[in-house]
Amino acid sequence: MNDKTTRFLPLVVTVGQVVIFPYYIIWLKQVSLTFTLFAWFFAAFSFAAAWGYRIFQSKKNKDQSFIFLIYVGIGMVYVLIGYIKNPFETLPYMVLLLQVILGLLQGYFRAWHTEQETYHLHAVHHYLIVGFAMIGFSFVTIISPVVFITIFGLLLCLCGVWEFIRKRKESI
Amino acid sequence: MKKLTNLFKKPWFLGSIVVIFITVVLWNNPIEKRKYGLSQSSLVTDYTGLLPERVERVVVADNREDLQRIVKRANDNGQQISVAGLQHSQGGHTYYKDGVVIDMRTFNRILELDERQKTIRVEAGATWEDVQEALLPYGLALKVTQSQSIFTIGGSLSVNAHGRDIRFGSMAETVEEMTLLTPTGEIKNVTRDDLDEWMKYVFGGYGLFGVILDVTLQLTDNDLYVIQTEKLKTSEYESYFTQLVDHQNTAMHYARLSVAPSSFLNEMYIINYNYTDKQDQKDFLKKEQGVRLSKIALDMGRQGGALEDLFWAMQKRYIASIHGKEITRNNAMRSESTFMEYTKPGRVEVLQEFFVPVDAYEDYIHNLKQVISADDKTDDFKVHNITIRYAAKDSFTTLNYAKEDMVGLVVLMQHGVKEEAVTNATSIIQRWTDVTLKHGGTYYLPYYRYQTKNQFRRSYPAWENFANEKLRRDPNEVFQNMFYDYYIK
Repeated sequence: MNDKTTRFLPLVVTVGQVVIFPYYIIWLKQVSLTFTLFAWFFAAFSFAAAWGYRIFQSKKNKDQSFIFLIYVGIGMVYVLIGYIKNPFETLPYMVLLLQVILGLLQGYFRAWHTEQETYHLHAVHHYLIVGFAMIGFSFVTIISPVVFITIFGLLLCLCGVWEFIRKRKESI
Repeated sequence: MKKLTNLFKKPWFLGSIVVIFITVVLWNNPIEKRKYGLSQSSLVTDYTGLLPERVERVVVADNREDLQRIVKRANDNGQQISVAGLQHSQGGHTYYKDGVVIDMRTFNRILELDERQKTIRVEAGATWEDVQEALLPYGLALKVTQSQSIFTIGGSLSVNAHGRDIRFGSMAETVEEMTLLTPTGEIKNVTRDDLDEWMKYVFGGYGLFGVILDVTLQLTDNDLYVIQTEKLKTSEYESYFTQLVDHQNTAMHYARLSVAPSSFLNEMYIINYNYTDKQDQKDFLKKEQGVRLSKIALDMGRQGGALEDLFWAMQKRYIASIHGKEITRNNAMRSESTFMEYTKPGRVEVLQEFFVPVDAYEDYIHNLKQVISADDKTDDFKVHNITIRYAAKDSFTTLNYAKEDMVGLVVLMQHGVKEEAVTNATSIIQRWTDVTLKHGGTYYLPYYRYQTKNQFRRSYPAWENFANEKLRRDPNEVFQNMFYDYYIK
């Protein structure tokens, strides 16, 4: 079981992030007042991702990667987005902060993932799964993208808990 | 290059980039603007959005002949017409149920500028900013305009607005000539000595006496002023202001009255623009400055309590810091406005303005303390700012708010939009209006209709004359709006 989850959890996270991306973009565009701000949100994400990537790469003890916290962290961001029902005045400031957190965590996760044995296998699988998933989702009519974003957030939190339990069992 | 590549590998460096970037983004985050007006997809509103209404259609003003045809057809078909500019009035003055709205914003050309006579002829849909831009190269400025340049000329004249100038009288008095599309569809050139006295009804006539097509405005020099600021007690203001008007060395003036709990209605800050005998040598109109910082400060003040005290302290510090600085007349007449944007769902910020005779000011403010609470932190109805302006005696327009030299209190207030909250706000504002009337004052009409019909009639005793003239000049009542419907009809 341990072996399976070691293989599948990162794949679920990677595939999920790509699949959720279009929905996330719709939400992000809705809360951006201008295209400039929308683009700046992306820039903030990218800079933060570079930072997160290097944080992991520079880590001395890579076995202690706390990846379950990364899953939970990303999941919490998506769940929080699901709670935002109406735009409010300070939302752009909050979104900027969420973009930085998301970028930082995703950059860290990606750096960790590239150093896993299964990474190259996942790369191929994730492209295929995303392709089929997106064809499937194209037939699903949605009223608001936040429904999927929240579901994905919860899934990530679950992955985090699973990973935590797995690590605990492994250490015992 | 290698050094740079190595630098980019350092997590602290990448972290610094993130921190710097988010600081830049936070500072430049655009301010959300209120969505209102004719561009709404279903119901038309004005700036507050409190009176949404369905209209038959919106006609974009293009040329005089088309407008004339629309008015004549409306007379024949029994249609109603309203006139809209930038719709900053707040009481449904620019639209009417199932009526036709003429959108004047595209009717905005500068027609003629006479440098020697110091006059400018401009179409009514132009903004004061358009006029200022046209005047700048000639070293000229407006005699009277609003303190912000975002409004249309036609709109400001229709509400007979006023600003910071204390020397040139009312805005209506600075108009030499006007081209008017009358309610029966005639295009008339109207001068100040016109026997029919059209100007008397059109200015401050809230769009009920036809369409202002263009006006010729008197101009003055774009003088350079030095800013003088002073802190006063409310009790000192009457004598201070009387002396200020007599001494003639101040061109423009306004003040702020504290609404912060610890100095509530007791402290004031004065801002004067004093003559320097110099004129502007540089061709520039200031753009909005410090918008983000001003918005953060105002948002803080909106919280009430200690934060409102802090906001007042910041305002005082800022006002003291501009003492002695020089500014041109044009720039003194174009204050920032974006920082006041407020878009919180379920709440609305509105303006009200009350006028009292200069010599009644102290007593009036004293009595006002019984009407509004010093600390409105937990109240639904909140007062954020009171600006004091001077409104010179106006014996020209019919619905005149300054029957003698008046002090105007421009009040920025906030309340919820649910029925209970609006009822509560209405009750407070009606009590405020009663206090104002008791001191021989009036209130301003371009805002939301909180006041009762009786309060309107007591404030504007000439309303009957206004109503009779309306029926005489517009027998088919073609020009209509919600204000007319509610108070005058």
